[in-house]
Amino acid sequence: MSHSDTIPLHASSQSDIDEIENLINASVQSGPATVLPARPPSPPRIPVSSSPFIPSNLPPLPSTHQKPSFVPSVPSAPPPPPVNSHSSIGASGFGSPPNTLTEPVWETVKRDLSRIVSNLKLVVFPNPYREDPGKALRDWDLWGPFFFIVFLGLTLSWSASVKKSEVFAVAFALLAAGAVILTLNVLLLGGHIIFFQSLSLLGYCLFPLDIGAVICMLKDNVIIKVAVVCVTLAWSSWAAYPFMSSAVNPRRKALALYPVFLMYVSVGFLIIAID
Amino acid sequence: MDFSQPAGENYANPKTCFFHVLFKAAALAFYILSALFFNNFVIIFVVTVVLAALDFWVVKNVSGRILVGLRWWNEINEEGESVWKFECLDQQSLARMNKKDSWLFWWTLYLTAAAWIVLGIFSIIRFEVDYVLVVGVCLSLSIANIIGFTKCRKDAKKQIQAFASQTIASHFSSTIQSAFSVV
Repeated sequence: MSHSDTIPLHASSQSDIDEIENLINASVQSGPATVLPARPPSPPRIPVSSSPFIPSNLPPLPSTHQKPSFVPSVPSAPPPPPVNSHSSIGASGFGSPPNTLTEPVWETVKRDLSRIVSNLKLVVFPNPYREDPGKALRDWDLWGPFFFIVFLGLTLSWSASVKKSEVFAVAFALLAAGAVILTLNVLLLGGHIIFFQSLSLLGYCLFPLDIGAVICMLKDNVIIKVAVVCVTLAWSSWAAYPFMSSAVNPRRKALALYPVFLMYVSVGFLIIAID
Repeated sequence: MDFSQPAGENYANPKTCFFHVLFKAAALAFYILSALFFNNFVIIFVVTVVLAALDFWVVKNVSGRILVGLRWWNEINEEGESVWKFECLDQQSLARMNKKDSWLFWWTLYLTAAAWIVLGIFSIIRFEVDYVLVVGVCLSLSIANIIGFTKCRKDAKKQIQAFASQTIASHFSSTIQSAFSVV
């Protein structure tokens, strides 16, 4: 120790000593630094979800919005009280990864609403994805179908002059059970379809019938009703056709499509017959 | 020191907890009390089911994230298969979650499902098929959330164990490396 000034250190051992010091300093620093949540915790991210949500709609927006805001919040992460209030979720500073876990509530609402609109457009209106139906309804959701079924039930119930409750209950049960049974039908025919995707599709295809029901509620003429129902029925069937037919063996296409058509026809009759 | 302890015992996210409980309680209360005031099944059905659906959305997207740091959803991948995805906060933040918040979260989930089951039994006994439909819808929403979050929690635990063993292994190898470089 006291000899250190007399014994000249060899150049390589000096660098070794520097290296050791660096290692020691690094391990000391990495101790408290692991508490920093913003340190890109790539290990914990690996096992779980690769990409939080799929993408068709606004994916880049939330993450690019949040990245710049996380940088300034990194130094403030260590102080303990993480005040997790509703909208300042972003301030808890988790770096880029959990961008669906820490997004503000309003972002989630907007994302879900835009997903409903885009699903509706994909299913009901002509668009380039119709040749590849599985791809089109990739992010299925059940909110749209739920809303359409309830709306149709309410419209039918409103148009009915007697037994309003029964009409609503029957319409709701018929549509919900019908969608489930139609999906099971396709699965039993050996088709490749995903249960919730098919439920979602059949629900979205009710949109034209919803429009037809509203028009029939406003106009009471039988001829107009029949005409409107025929048009909307054809539109619904056209919307459902590519998805259902591509899911089964071509020889069994009719077996899969006929019950769908039958269900929409019966709903059409309900709409016409309500007075 | 004394000030931090009482603050730790309280809820860390009172607004979220409130909303978490609000819609569940509103759906149950409306269903139970409406029979006294309304004779109209349609209104009861629609309002109860809408409240239950809102509650499902709030629990899945908001309070699950904020109170327990978990999230689950379903995706369809490129091959056209359905994949359930689970996401959780990393370990340090999970450990920091307020105990009271998560207690409230899980217990209200279970209690709501139990309450709907009891109400369903009542309607079956009274042969009111319409109301069984309402109860059925609300119950299926509650159960979906319970299953989703339970699976997510198990997945999170597995990940934590994997991460812990990974860090131990990497730490071990780095100390061995540094030991060898010294020598």
